[in-house]
Amino acid sequence: MDSIDKPPHESSRWSVSSKDNNSVREVTFDVDSKRIRHGSAGADSEMLSMSQKEIKDEDARLVYINDPERTNERFEFTGNSIKTAKYSVFTFLPRNLFEQFHRVAYIYFLVIAVLNQLPQLAVFGRGASIMPLAFVLLVSAIKDAYEDFRRHRSDRVENNRLALVFEDNEFREKKWKHIRVGEVIKVQSNQTLPCDMVLLATSDPTGVVYVQTTNLDGESNLKTRYAKQETLLKAADLESFDGFIKCEKPNRNIYGFQANMEIDGRRLSLGPSNIILRGCELKNTVWALGVVVYAGGETKAMLNNSGAPSKRSRLETRMNLEIILLSLFLIVLCTTAAATAAVWLRRHRDDLDIILFYRRKDYAEKPGGKNHNYYGWGWEIFFTFFMAVIVYQIMIPISLYISMELVRIGQAYFMTRDDQMYDESSNSSFQCRALNINEDLGQIKYLFSDKTGTLTDNKMEFQCACIGGVDYSDREPADSAHPGYSIEVDGIVLKPKMRVRVDPALLELTKNGSATEEAKRANEFFLSLAACNTIVPIVTNTSDPDVKLVDYQGESPDEQALVYAAASYGFLLIERTSGHIVINVRGETQRYNVLGLHEFDSDRKRMSVILGCPDMSVKLFVKGADSSMFSVMDESNGDVIQATKEQLHAYSSDGLRTLVVGMRKLNDSEFEQWHSSFEAASTALIGRAGLLRKVAGNIETSLRIVGATAIEDKLQHGVPEAIESLRIAGIKVWVLTGDKQETAISIGFSSRLLTRNMRQIVINSNSLDSCRRSLEEANSSIASNDESVALIIDGTSLIYVLDNDLEDVLFQVACKCSAILCCRVAPFQKAGIVALVKNRTSDMTLAIGDGANDVSMIQMADVGVGISGQEGRQAVMASDFAMGQFRFLVPLLLVHGHWNYQRMGYMILYNFYRNAVFVLILFWYVLFTCYTLTTAITEWSSVLYSVIYTSFPTIIIGILDKDLGRRTLLEHPQLYGVGQRAEGYSTTLFWYMMMDTIWQSAAIFFIPLFAYWGSTIDTSSLGDLWTIAAVVVVNLHLAMDVIRWNWITHAAIWGSIVAACICVIVIDLIPTLPGYWAIFQVAKTWMFWFCLLAIVVTSLLPRFAIKFLGEYYRPSDVRIAREAEKLGTFIDSQTRGIEMNRIADPPRR
Amino acid sequence: MSSNTASSSAATAGSGDASAVRKNSKRPKYSKFTQQELPACKPILTPGWVISTFLIVSVIFIPLGVISLFASQDVVEIVDRYDNDCIPAPARTNKVAFIQGSADKACIRNLTVTKRMKKPVYVYYQLENFYQNHRRYVKSRSDAQLRSPKYENQISACKPEDDVGGQPIVPCGLIAWSLFNDTYTLSRNNASLAVNQKGIAWKSDKEHKFGKKVFPKNFQKGNLTGGASLEPDVPLSDQEHLIVWMRTAALPTFRKLYGKIETDLEVNDTITVMLQNNYNTYSFSGKKKLVLSTTSWLGGKNDFLGIAYLTVGGICFFLAIAFTIMYLVKPRRLGDPSYLSWNRNPGGR
Repeated sequence: MDSIDKPPHESSRWSVSSKDNNSVREVTFDVDSKRIRHGSAGADSEMLSMSQKEIKDEDARLVYINDPERTNERFEFTGNSIKTAKYSVFTFLPRNLFEQFHRVAYIYFLVIAVLNQLPQLAVFGRGASIMPLAFVLLVSAIKDAYEDFRRHRSDRVENNRLALVFEDNEFREKKWKHIRVGEVIKVQSNQTLPCDMVLLATSDPTGVVYVQTTNLDGESNLKTRYAKQETLLKAADLESFDGFIKCEKPNRNIYGFQANMEIDGRRLSLGPSNIILRGCELKNTVWALGVVVYAGGETKAMLNNSGAPSKRSRLETRMNLEIILLSLFLIVLCTTAAATAAVWLRRHRDDLDIILFYRRKDYAEKPGGKNHNYYGWGWEIFFTFFMAVIVYQIMIPISLYISMELVRIGQAYFMTRDDQMYDESSNSSFQCRALNINEDLGQIKYLFSDKTGTLTDNKMEFQCACIGGVDYSDREPADSAHPGYSIEVDGIVLKPKMRVRVDPALLELTKNGSATEEAKRANEFFLSLAACNTIVPIVTNTSDPDVKLVDYQGESPDEQALVYAAASYGFLLIERTSGHIVINVRGETQRYNVLGLHEFDSDRKRMSVILGCPDMSVKLFVKGADSSMFSVMDESNGDVIQATKEQLHAYSSDGLRTLVVGMRKLNDSEFEQWHSSFEAASTALIGRAGLLRKVAGNIETSLRIVGATAIEDKLQHGVPEAIESLRIAGIKVWVLTGDKQETAISIGFSSRLLTRNMRQIVINSNSLDSCRRSLEEANSSIASNDESVALIIDGTSLIYVLDNDLEDVLFQVACKCSAILCCRVAPFQKAGIVALVKNRTSDMTLAIGDGANDVSMIQMADVGVGISGQEGRQAVMASDFAMGQFRFLVPLLLVHGHWNYQRMGYMILYNFYRNAVFVLILFWYVLFTCYTLTTAITEWSSVLYSVIYTSFPTIIIGILDKDLGRRTLLEHPQLYGVGQRAEGYSTTLFWYMMMDTIWQSAAIFFIPLFAYWGSTIDTSSLGDLWTIAAVVVVNLHLAMDVIRWNWITHAAIWGSIVAACICVIVIDLIPTLPGYWAIFQVAKTWMFWFCLLAIVVTSLLPRFAIKFLGEYYRPSDVRIAREAEKLGTFIDSQTRGIEMNRIADPPRR
Repeated sequence: MSSNTASSSAATAGSGDASAVRKNSKRPKYSKFTQQELPACKPILTPGWVISTFLIVSVIFIPLGVISLFASQDVVEIVDRYDNDCIPAPARTNKVAFIQGSADKACIRNLTVTKRMKKPVYVYYQLENFYQNHRRYVKSRSDAQLRSPKYENQISACKPEDDVGGQPIVPCGLIAWSLFNDTYTLSRNNASLAVNQKGIAWKSDKEHKFGKKVFPKNFQKGNLTGGASLEPDVPLSDQEHLIVWMRTAALPTFRKLYGKIETDLEVNDTITVMLQNNYNTYSFSGKKKLVLSTTSWLGGKNDFLGIAYLTVGGICFFLAIAFTIMYLVKPRRLGDPSYLSWNRNPGGR
């Protein structure tokens, strides 16, 4: 620990002190808050608001540094052992059962099973009645147990890892699970942090540590965190360290932390930059000391370990209507059974005692006899009703819910395995985070897309500079042999990791040093680019020991691009600590002291840095969005500003993102004034962020314009084609961006969202009235749907729209437009726009985005898609589906969405049908058994029917069947309309299916009935015939609708029939069941086979004929495409399709 | 252009860990299965297929219907309903009282053979409106008890015919209790006609379901007699009428095999049946019939299946013709993209 005592960089502190006699700590104070973004990326208002709040005593936790006993005295804080496992050996059974019974389906099973246990209602034997429930419970329990076992194992590994804990004056190894709040821990390079801790000291004299937060939020760049200067010095003598931290209660906000530390009576405030979180890895830092504030389950990482969001699919919600219809149908059946039974009992009420097959009286005990198993007329009706419910229970296809889950898992498997949705650059395959809305992907009507990082790569490239109103943008192709800029320092060649194309003229200019006014300006320009940012240079080794690469790590891609650009022009940023930066200017290493830094925030839309230059002058560099910068410019050089403005307009018309750079020399009094107010603001306990903002605002005035930058945010590969496909598919694409109108429009053109023949309606109002007027004008000006119109609306207008009653008008206008572009949109507005559409239409909405600012929108939309890109993982964490590139939306929606929707729609209808057929067969029989609920079909077959006899094919078809090939779907995006028009599942289809069901069940039941009427047939034989006939018909019905027969389909369908026959045979091999040997007796007669053949043909005949007629004379698009696919009329169709499009879309002026 | 330089430099920088990247690549392994590209057959319903399917069905069904009808026509059947006639006219006002009383229930019926009946001629009794499939009834049996003397106390399902004075009834339950007890003695032209009452039950039932060591106990000893009694020293496996009866009928109109006549019956033979009309179907207006019938390969006399086959075959033939005409009059080119909705009405989307 000796090294703490003698920090090697004594000089750096001295140099600052020379300027300012207070210690360096004040200056370094608020270099925190690393969430800095520029341009369109939203601000972290969340974080700002966090620091404005003060901690109330009741909401705080007190941590005494290096004194775990005292810390845990009043309240025992959670220890560091974690338990992600849900169950222990003893709690598994009750708890797992409890959780499983949260599902309505299981409750239904349970109620039926319990009803069946009442002796009066015992329809099935014990075994048969409990089996279906036991089966699903067992399967789920095994799955849960296995998962939990794995969690137990990983918990154990995690808990037994070792960490260095300061105890009894030395660091000792201690298992993670024994770490307590208040203890001081030492973490070494590349180690994972065991808990959340406040930094006390680091190996770096300025107190900087670098952490990688991949495990936490997936971002792989290094983040800087700081130890407080006060603790840095005191940490040398840990034993006497006396102080406490008052921090907020554990919460899941990984970007926020608020606390105060009190050491030696001095109060310091702590922010998110002073805490390092469990799961992060320490990088580029030899060691770090910290005091544990949150441990175990209370760490932010663990609190964030929640599952994927759960949404319900539209189809499933839609299906509930039919479930209700089926319930009503079930009630009708049961009531009929009960009523007819009552009529029969009433009619024979005098004879019941002795009727041979009823025998109400039991004469065994007393001669007069007592009623046996008869409870009076009313009760008999009541019991009959409930027995009917038990017998007909599968009318409500509970197994459907389980099948749907299995099918969705299968579909998700294929979606994640699709190698056309694998992103090479980020090495990420498709992720299905929500498992229950697969089929919604086939019905999307509105698409809301973020721009930066979603349509574009968010890989910024420096394109142009405008310095002093002069444009330097070399659009000529660069010489690819150009080695890129490199510099030799102390015998080691330093190279920036990325090369940026340079403008030769500008390069020449900078080399002139301060010879001319332009050259001076150019130098200032690049100096400010290199200095005014929060980028951290990381020097990495290459294979050549003499060459080192400088990698710029930071959270804003714009800043990275600017720093790389500066490096290419000879301003190589080499080192950044909290107190100084080192820049190598064309081979000459210069050191600048960072006297102050005003972070970026979304109100000011700029950031600034105050540098103490080597020539002892103090300069303020500001960079920010043009809208905010021109208002703080010194008006004296108006022509430069004018020229710059013109250039900026030109840049943004090219779709470039622009920033303006300004600077000012500060004289001593100005600096002193700023310094005192900055110090006051940064130590303020209340409203710190607001005060700091004000201080920044005061100093950022009357700036001299230096120049402007233009950065290209390149479109992602395949975006224009994807947007074109989606638009042809009938999906309305809304792009929501924070960019300027010009930038947004140019991106709109390059992404083919806008086309030249579209009429643009721009709504760009500054007041409610003008906004209303222009909206209404727009509404009346769009004559009909055939005109292609694009609506462009900006954030200010949206404020008026969303706050007032104009939402309806906007929606009407938007409905008529084929493209909508919203620019200058704040993050909260994004969700508002999605809600505006979602509340007004029943159509499905999908939001896609990549950044934290898209989270609200992603959660609001019916389907949220996250892009795992540059801006972190929050969007992915909030999304239902995550993928690497925007263009994957096309296969996702047009191919997988279409398939999933078609499969699921068909599967639901088929499940309704197959259960209803069986129930109706049972019901018809009741009419011939004196209205008592006898089943000819054995109880085991009744139970196994929906489990084994018919379930596998429907699940397999639901996962594997494809109505059309991938190529066809991609080439004809219009086929997506099937889902949008809900053609795969509708109430009409349901009724059509039900009519068919009634016919088929009647054919299955009545053909044997009439054929065997008055014969010697016994119940079991006839029951076996009905069972096999039902299974064959139901499976052939499915076979008739299967579109693609591969070997798995064959195996499932024919295997199912075989399995059913085997089950029937096995049941009839049990001598203690009444049906012993029946199947063999009946199957050796010709009558059986004649009946079976007649049943199969008769029941499927109407469906076959109507299906053919419908498909032949009123063919659906899918059907025609399928024919074209099969018969190879594709090439033909393609040329025609283009022709048709041309006619349909004549060029407009 | 600048993108090229950028990516190329990134590529050089990344080349060092290219192998590591490859190892960690999450790229899904390509297989025809995971890409859902398994070789598959995609049949579509073309008019040719549909019309030929209908034709094939009709070609198969019409002959099958014809032979079914012939088979049914070949069967010679004599049915005689006797439940009403076998009650003396004075007693017909209260048939239940008569059948429960102790009067002589003998009855003589004369039947005339209208068509030659080849052996074996089966003798059935047919009951109508008798619900052997009633829920209370079918459940009232103990299959375990029938199989083995070990389980003779398994009588819980048999109520109210479970025990007599605490002693289990074997065979217990309503089914056995209500065993049919009309008896028939046949003579032809005044010469006695043997009716073989052996071999009428399923072999499987005799061998495995009804135990050879299970003897009737306490049977029909209760306060109410339902039907026939059993000889106590004959094992259940040889009580074939019981075995036949215990195979409960599926439908309320059913026949049970009584015996077989193993000689041919000639035209105009007069069959005289001496019967004991013991069985009480009167309390629920059940009908009793005596049936003498031959069988065909397809079973008994029932035209339904033949008619059904002819109808379905006919409909299929008609549909085949109709579809052919429709196809010729108004054909549609398969896979013609001009039928696609977005091509039919351009701009209307």
